[in-house]
Amino acid sequence: MGSQLDAILFESERLVPFERGWQAQRQLQQRLLLQPEGPDAVLLLQHEPCYTLGRGADPSFLRFDHANPPLPLHRIDRGGEVTHHCPGQLVLYPVLNLQRHGADLHLYLRQLEQVGIDLLAEYGLAAERLAGLTGVWLEGHKLAAIGVGARRWISQHGLALNVDCDLAGFSQVVPCGLADRPVGRLLDWRPQLSAAAVAPRLLAVFADRFGLALRAPEPQEQLQGW
Amino acid sequence: MPALSSTMTEGKIVEWLKQPGQRVERGDSVLVVESDKADMDVEAFHGGFLAAVLMPAGGTAPVGETIGLIVDSEAEIATAAAQAPAAPAAQAPVATATASSAPASPAPASPVAASPAPSAQVVAAPVVAAPVVVPPAVAPAPAAASSNGGRVVASPRAKKLASQLGVVLEGLRGSGPHGRIQAEDVLAAGGQPISVPRVAEGSGPAVAAVASASNGAAAAAVAPAASAAPLGQAFGRPGETVAFNTLQQAVNRSMVASLTAPCFRVGYTITTDKLDAFYKKVKGKGVTMTALLAKAVGVVLARHPQVNATTTDAGMLYPAAVNVAVAVAMEDGGLITPVLANTDSTDIYSLARNWADLVARARSKQLKPEEYSTGTFTLSNLGMFGVDRFDAILPPGTGAILAVAASRPTVVAAKDGSISVKNQMQVNLTCDHRTIYGAHAAAFLKDLAQLIETAPESLAF
Repeated sequence: MGSQLDAILFESERLVPFERGWQAQRQLQQRLLLQPEGPDAVLLLQHEPCYTLGRGADPSFLRFDHANPPLPLHRIDRGGEVTHHCPGQLVLYPVLNLQRHGADLHLYLRQLEQVGIDLLAEYGLAAERLAGLTGVWLEGHKLAAIGVGARRWISQHGLALNVDCDLAGFSQVVPCGLADRPVGRLLDWRPQLSAAAVAPRLLAVFADRFGLALRAPEPQEQLQGW
Repeated sequence: MPALSSTMTEGKIVEWLKQPGQRVERGDSVLVVESDKADMDVEAFHGGFLAAVLMPAGGTAPVGETIGLIVDSEAEIATAAAQAPAAPAAQAPVATATASSAPASPAPASPVAASPAPSAQVVAAPVVAAPVVVPPAVAPAPAAASSNGGRVVASPRAKKLASQLGVVLEGLRGSGPHGRIQAEDVLAAGGQPISVPRVAEGSGPAVAAVASASNGAAAAAVAPAASAAPLGQAFGRPGETVAFNTLQQAVNRSMVASLTAPCFRVGYTITTDKLDAFYKKVKGKGVTMTALLAKAVGVVLARHPQVNATTTDAGMLYPAAVNVAVAVAMEDGGLITPVLANTDSTDIYSLARNWADLVARARSKQLKPEEYSTGTFTLSNLGMFGVDRFDAILPPGTGAILAVAASRPTVVAAKDGSISVKNQMQVNLTCDHRTIYGAHAAAFLKDLAQLIETAPESLAF
């Protein structure tokens, strides 16, 4: 055992506009489409406040006029309903060749959930799955939203974990189309935590779950506009 | 409708990226399929023209259903489109390729439709277009056997059974890799209760282990059912000497090597009523008894590193991970031990899926060396045959192997003198005494029994 897969880590210190994060993922996806044997990659960042809709999302879950959104609104190529990104939320975008990770999209979703569950376990919290409600749940609150898209088994999008963000932006939408299930954040269980403090643990747990050895990009692997 | 996952039964079409009449290049994304919170772009295997969309965006179709038609030339669009609304049912079986079972090479020249086609090759080249070069068979959706250019693909045993039972193979759906008809498919078609699969140890849904637990007669009932089939396996005919195949030779080397290890054996009887009840709850989610037993062993091994250790020239080697290997007999002789890596820390659903994938690929001899040679402990299960006790030979490079027999209703006397009927199974641990001593083995078995008897639900994660 012990053979870890090579993976490039892109981490941003600054808040990233949604468009730029998406653009970066598409560049990485394109690289793997052209060279499927190339390294996996993962982006870890926090977004400027915005809303995103999955490709098949129902706009009726927006509690505002979608021609006049209070924050930038993006319809993107992932599964799932509307969600909200904001500072204090850790966003993990793995761009993986899933053929090296089981070639099974449901398995991939379950593995992403497990990353959230493993991470919260490190803080002594017993997070769980709810059947049919993809995500990471703690005492009935959804702490992490998950939605992925793939082309030829190359993944994009991923997991968004609320750490110490302001949850007010979620009240403008019906997150994931679930009206009766509140969104939560880690801060309310572990008040000393910050997104910056949790970030390295999230990466460690993720790398462990997917058997990846994360490293900084080589000069020729840098992303345009990153 | 391609399968995006071994657990996917149907998918929703989010969007058609091509419109009827539009040209499609090989590799173009044709549509987007959603299942749960995952989207996948589905690409065309063949260039041509999208002639018809049989399932519009927003619609949901079962895996394997034909959802659209691609034709070779513009001229054929009208014909195919005209046929399409009437034809989908007839053509459905043609759409066999799934994301997980599609051949890596270009699909065999347009698996052509069974329905009357005006000109050759016209109709189907179904849009199932699995994303290229996909590893095979994660429990592939049943596929029509006859799709393979009209040739019936069936295992030798299936063919023999078919002739004995009078089952017609043409048109039968195969559950094996690429729709290959397996013996079980023939038995099912012949109305026979499905007996124990030939690729046995742990490979099947381990139903019999529990069936025999809930019904003592089950093990006996299997025998008459199977008697229509050849009774025992043999690799040669009377009077012949048959050379060992490569796999058999490898097993021979391991078995002879085991003679240099000083082994002893320790047995334990475990009550399985709670495990059986938990298994009933989760088997609908694809969890097999093999996965449950492997997980239980993995969790307990993590607490008993001495039993996970092995003897080397340098000393006692403690592996970094708990990797439970499970012995699987191969149809054509020999056996292989696919490995469930990190058994202790992998959730049961992932384990069950990994196991199904490993067994499917073991059958088609596509396992990578690290997938069958990195076990730190081995499990051998003959419970599905109703075996009530046996012991196993230690595989080289490991310190212990556990033989698991069938769980059977047993009259049990408790310490207070009360008598009840409980399902019990015997397990038997073979250990290398250089590294593992009797007390280690006993403590391991006691913990394993306690886990299975009191907290099998904890095996879920």
